[in-house]
Amino acid sequence: MQLRYVFTELRTGLRRNLSMHLAVILTLFVSLSLAGLGILIQREAELTNRQLGNELKIRVNLCTVDDPTGSPNCASGEINDAQRERIQSEIDGSDEVAGARFQTKEEGYKIAFDQAKRNGTAAAFEGDNPVVTVEKWPAAYIVTLKSPDRADGIISALAGLDGVSRIVDQRDELGQIFGIMRILKYGSWVASAFLLFAALMQVANTIRLAALARRREIAIMRLVGASTLYITLPFLLEALVTAAAGVVLAGGALAAFQYWGVDQGMAKEVAALPWVDWSDYAQALIGGFPPGIVFLAPALTLIPTLLLTRKYIKV
Amino acid sequence: MPVIRFERVSKRYAGPGRPALDQVSVDIDKGEFVYLVGTSGSGKSTALRLVLRELRPTTGRVIVAGKEINRMAGWKVPRLRRQIGTVFQDFRLLPNKTVTENVAFAQQVIGKSRREIGSTVPAALEMVGLKGKGDRMPDELSGGEQQRVAIARAVVNRPMILIADEPTGNLDPQTSVGIMNLLGEINANGTTVVMATHDHGIVDQFTKRVIELEHGKVVRDEAAGSYGFQH
Repeated sequence: MQLRYVFTELRTGLRRNLSMHLAVILTLFVSLSLAGLGILIQREAELTNRQLGNELKIRVNLCTVDDPTGSPNCASGEINDAQRERIQSEIDGSDEVAGARFQTKEEGYKIAFDQAKRNGTAAAFEGDNPVVTVEKWPAAYIVTLKSPDRADGIISALAGLDGVSRIVDQRDELGQIFGIMRILKYGSWVASAFLLFAALMQVANTIRLAALARRREIAIMRLVGASTLYITLPFLLEALVTAAAGVVLAGGALAAFQYWGVDQGMAKEVAALPWVDWSDYAQALIGGFPPGIVFLAPALTLIPTLLLTRKYIKV
Repeated sequence: MPVIRFERVSKRYAGPGRPALDQVSVDIDKGEFVYLVGTSGSGKSTALRLVLRELRPTTGRVIVAGKEINRMAGWKVPRLRRQIGTVFQDFRLLPNKTVTENVAFAQQVIGKSRREIGSTVPAALEMVGLKGKGDRMPDELSGGEQQRVAIARAVVNRPMILIADEPTGNLDPQTSVGIMNLLGEINANGTTVVMATHDHGIVDQFTKRVIELEHGKVVRDEAAGSYGFQH
């Protein structure tokens, strides 16, 4: 097979349909960048879940005098020793609990007061007749979970016990962050899917135009006995070149996001959270399931090319 | 063993109407020169396209070079076509390639080496009488010369069969005679020539076997026939 001819045809084809190829490359660039971003966000959600999940705790507030929650568990007033022992034994007997710590009213009040002072919202704690006092502050059990996914058993067991005012599940608060991440991830994937579909249509149009522009040559090739592979090879190579260009641009954009957005940006601003690193970037490029953009792009251009060349260049 | 055999071949296109070919049985031996004549729509082009395996018969068998081609796998078709040269009324040259490049194209796309192309293309151009015109572009040539380029391209791979569909249809009588002489030479060298034509002057002047089709049926097959009807 004369590859010189194939490469000459490839060069001619790329030049002849330059504007269409550029359109395909740009669409691929944006859609692959979004797909890669979706993979990185998913990875970020996993990392955050793994780290924060292990630190997630359940706070079991105990009843105070005139408990403000109005919980029926607090009908007998401030928690007594018997009620506390019952709660303690329930926590100790649960297989969902890794450990628990009792926090006195004083400890809890001090932590909340310090926090409020830092945030400039300590007015409720101060003055002659403060709204929040040590007496009104609930003592609590801080329960650490074995697995962040399993807490329903202990929560339902404690919720009905006398002396339990309120159970604060920290997972609910972090759930909002995970929810935002989920929206970002699926949002980028949906946008990416639409754009990838647009890229697919553009590839189909490009093939149709290229086949039309070369119809005389293709007709002669068929008549003199050129193989299907030989006739379709320039088309397949054109598809590969556009895919490669799209991958290089999207890979560059994702690298820029990783460096300036994550390493130099968010990771420095919020050091407490784990952040995606360059191994995750490599994963977004190569991937497994879903496949990375390095495999996604050629599949997106080669599959329609193979299907359409079979239609337009039938030997 | 005939080089082309049609065994009760019928070809019906989609839609209503009579078949394009209807129970056609014909043998064409190696080295023969055959005119395929008939009115427009008589089935000539369908017969030629069946030989090239551009179409498959609805019923019957088409055997070319000993192979039943209607059962041939798609990937084997290019190899079959390398044994068949094709010439058309409208020449079908590539306008952006020189004469030499047009002829070489037929060899490049089937993977012949540059060395082989370098020797066979000038020989083919010399054979068709275009020596020294290899660097010309098609639009710098007369109609007869363009058809000679097309013939050179058709025979450069030394095919067993040459299919010529109205090769003199766009040419004046004098130029047509030149083209017929050339086709005669190619036939004399052992290539089977099947020529579909409306040119009764040519058929009557260069007497060969004539197969006449009418409404998809063979109505005449004469070893040394004339055109036989006027249109």
